[in-house]
Amino acid sequence: MENCSFFEARHPAETGEENPMTLLTTMTKALATTVAICLTAGAVFAADIAVVGGKTDDAFWTKIKKGVDDSRFVVEANGGEVSYLQLQTYDNLGPDAAGLIRTAISQGVTGIVIPNWVPEAEDEAIKAAVDAGIKVILMNAGSLEKAKELGAINYVGSDEYLAGVAGGEYFGKGGQKNVLCVNTLPGSANQEARCKGVIDGVTKAGGAGKQLPLPATSFGDPTAIAEAVKATLTQDGTIDGVITIGAGDADAAASGIQQAGKVENVKLGSFDFNEAALDRIKNSAQLFAIDQQPYLQSLLSVTLLASHIDFGTDLPVKPVLTGPGIVDASNIDSTLSGVSKGAR
Amino acid sequence: MNSKTASQPIAMVQTPITSPAASFSVGGLFRRPEAGAFLGLFGVFVFFLVFGSLEFLKPAGAASWLNVAANLGIVAFPIGLLMIAGELDISIGSMIPAGSMTVAIISGYYGLPIWIGIAASLGLGVFVGLVNGFLVVRTNVPSLIVTLGTLFAVAGLVLGLSVLLTGTTSVALKAPELAKFFFGQFVANTFQVIIFWWLALTALYIYVIHYSPYGNWIFAMGGDRVSARNAGIPTAKLTIALFVLSSTSAAFVGMCQAILFNSAQVSAGMSFIFNSIISVVVGGVLLTGGFGSIVGIFFGTITFAVVNQGIYFTSFDRNWSSLIIGVMLLLAVLMNNTFRSMALSYSPKKK
Repeated sequence: MENCSFFEARHPAETGEENPMTLLTTMTKALATTVAICLTAGAVFAADIAVVGGKTDDAFWTKIKKGVDDSRFVVEANGGEVSYLQLQTYDNLGPDAAGLIRTAISQGVTGIVIPNWVPEAEDEAIKAAVDAGIKVILMNAGSLEKAKELGAINYVGSDEYLAGVAGGEYFGKGGQKNVLCVNTLPGSANQEARCKGVIDGVTKAGGAGKQLPLPATSFGDPTAIAEAVKATLTQDGTIDGVITIGAGDADAAASGIQQAGKVENVKLGSFDFNEAALDRIKNSAQLFAIDQQPYLQSLLSVTLLASHIDFGTDLPVKPVLTGPGIVDASNIDSTLSGVSKGAR
Repeated sequence: MNSKTASQPIAMVQTPITSPAASFSVGGLFRRPEAGAFLGLFGVFVFFLVFGSLEFLKPAGAASWLNVAANLGIVAFPIGLLMIAGELDISIGSMIPAGSMTVAIISGYYGLPIWIGIAASLGLGVFVGLVNGFLVVRTNVPSLIVTLGTLFAVAGLVLGLSVLLTGTTSVALKAPELAKFFFGQFVANTFQVIIFWWLALTALYIYVIHYSPYGNWIFAMGGDRVSARNAGIPTAKLTIALFVLSSTSAAFVGMCQAILFNSAQVSAGMSFIFNSIISVVVGGVLLTGGFGSIVGIFFGTITFAVVNQGIYFTSFDRNWSSLIIGVMLLLAVLMNNTFRSMALSYSPKKK
C-alpha cells in the first residue's frame, strides 16, 4: 500500500498519445486507475504473507520465528509485509490453526504459510484460502502429496521417516549393529515414524534395530528414562547404539549408558539437540544429532512464497526438505556458532 | 495434645505406633496401618522375581527402582501429608522444572556460584509454597484449584523467563565437584546420591509425624478441620507449612536432577503429579484424608518404582508396559485395602 503513489500510476498516461486535448481525460483516467490500484494494491503487487506457527516460547518455534524475521527484510524490500500468527496453546491444535487461517483470509493476505498439523481440521480452511486466490505453502508438517491435494504450491519441511533413516544409516556407517530407539511418546505418529526410520536405516546398512516404548508414567522423568535405558542395556549386551526422540531424553540416556558402564561400546544419537547434547558431541560422549533445521523452514517458505506472488517464480524442487541435517564432530563448531545467533 | 478431642481415625492410626503398652505379636504387625502397603510391595516383588530375573535384586538392578523411588519419594511424603490433612498440591509438576531451571540458569547460564543457584531454587520453592498456602487458607478455594492455577502460572513463568533470559528452553549446567558430591553423584556408579537424602528424610518424617505432636495435628486436620481448630490446633499455619514443604521438596528434586544430568528443560516433571499421588494412595493414604502413615508412603513409593521399572527385567513385550503397571498397582491397592479394613475392624479378645 505504501508504494501506491500517483507516479507509479501515471505510467499509462505517459505512454499515451501526445495530444494535449486528450491529456486531461487521460489524467482523469489515470487518477481513477490510481484509486482502483490503491484499493487492490495489497492483493496485486506486493506479497502480504501470514505465517501460522507455534508459540515462540519454545526452542523450536523461536528458530522458526527468527527465520520469519530474517525473511521479512526481503519481502519488505519489495513492498510487502509478513506477519506471524501464533497459537496461544496446543490444547486444541487443529481447530485453532484452522481459525488462524480464516483470520489470515479475512485480513486479505495474498499468501499463507501453514503447518498442516491436523489435516482433518485444517484442510477445509486451507482449501477456502486457495479458493479465495491466496497462495499457500505447507511448512513443517505435511507432505507434497497433501500440498498437491489442497492446491498449495509446495511443502517445505522435513520428513520424520527420512530423518530416521539418515540416523539409522549413520549408525550403520559407524559400525553399530544393534540400535535401540527410545520412544518416550509411543503412539505419536511423528515419533513412531522417526523410530521406524532409524530401524529401517540401520537394517539397510546391515545391522538391526528395535524400539523401546516407555510408559506414560516415565515421560518427563529423566531418572525413569535413564534407568530404563540402563536396564535394557544390561539385559541385552548386544545393543551398541541408542537414539532418543528428543534432546532432553538424550541427557537421560547418556546417564543410563554411563551407569551401565558402556560408554565405550554404546554410541548415542538424538533427534534435535540442546546445549548439553552439543557439549557431548564436542566431547565425543555423543555420536550425532539429527536436525530438521527449523530456521530454514520458515526462511525458505516465506521467501519462496513472496517471490512466487511478486514475480511469478516457481521452484521445480518439490518438496523442499530442510532436513535431516546431521550434527557431529565434523561440524560441531559451526553449529555452535549458529546456536549463539539463535538460528540453530 | 493427647486429649481425646481428635476424631476417631487418628486414635486408630496412632495407637499401634505410639502406645508403649502394645505388646509385640505377629498378628499385631499385620494390623499396623502400613502392613497392607508392605504386602502390596511384597506381592509386586514376587511377581517380578517369577517373571523377571534375579538381576532385579542385584545392586545395578536395585538401583533401577531405588533411584526412581528416591526422586519420587521426596515429593511423595509432603504430598501424602497434604492428602492426610485433606489438601492436594499439584503445582509440584511445574515446581520440579522450576527448581532445575532456576539452578541451571543462575549457575549454568550466568555462571554464578552453585550455592546461589541452589539457594534461589529452594527459595523459589518456599515462595510458591507460601503463595499456595496463603491462597488456600485465605480464599477457601479448594487446594486442587489453587494449585492447578499455580501449576500453570509457574510453568508459564519458567518458560517465559527462560526464553527471555537465555533464548532457549534447555539450559546446560556444569556443577562443581562438591555440589555433585552432595546432590548429583552416582555412588558406586549406580546409586543416585539422592537415595541417601530420601532415607534421611524418611527417618525425619517418621519422627515428626508419628512421635511429635505435629503429626497428630495433621491427622486431626484431615479428620475434621473445624474440630481441630476448635481444639487449638493452628490449622492455617500448619496448612501453609505443608504447602511450603511440598513445593520446596519439588524444587529440591528438580535441583538435584539438573546437577545430576548436567542439564535442565522447562518441560519435565508433569508425570510427578500423578505418580506421587499414585504412590501415596498405594501406600495406604485415603483420598478423603485423615488416614495414612509415612512408612506406608515409603512402601507405596517403592511399589510404584518397582512396578514401573521391573518391566525392563522381564521378557514381556514393552508395548504392554502400561497395562501391567495399571493391573499391578490396582492389585497392590486392593491388597492394601483388605488389610486396612482388617486392621480397623480388629477387636482383641478380652483377656
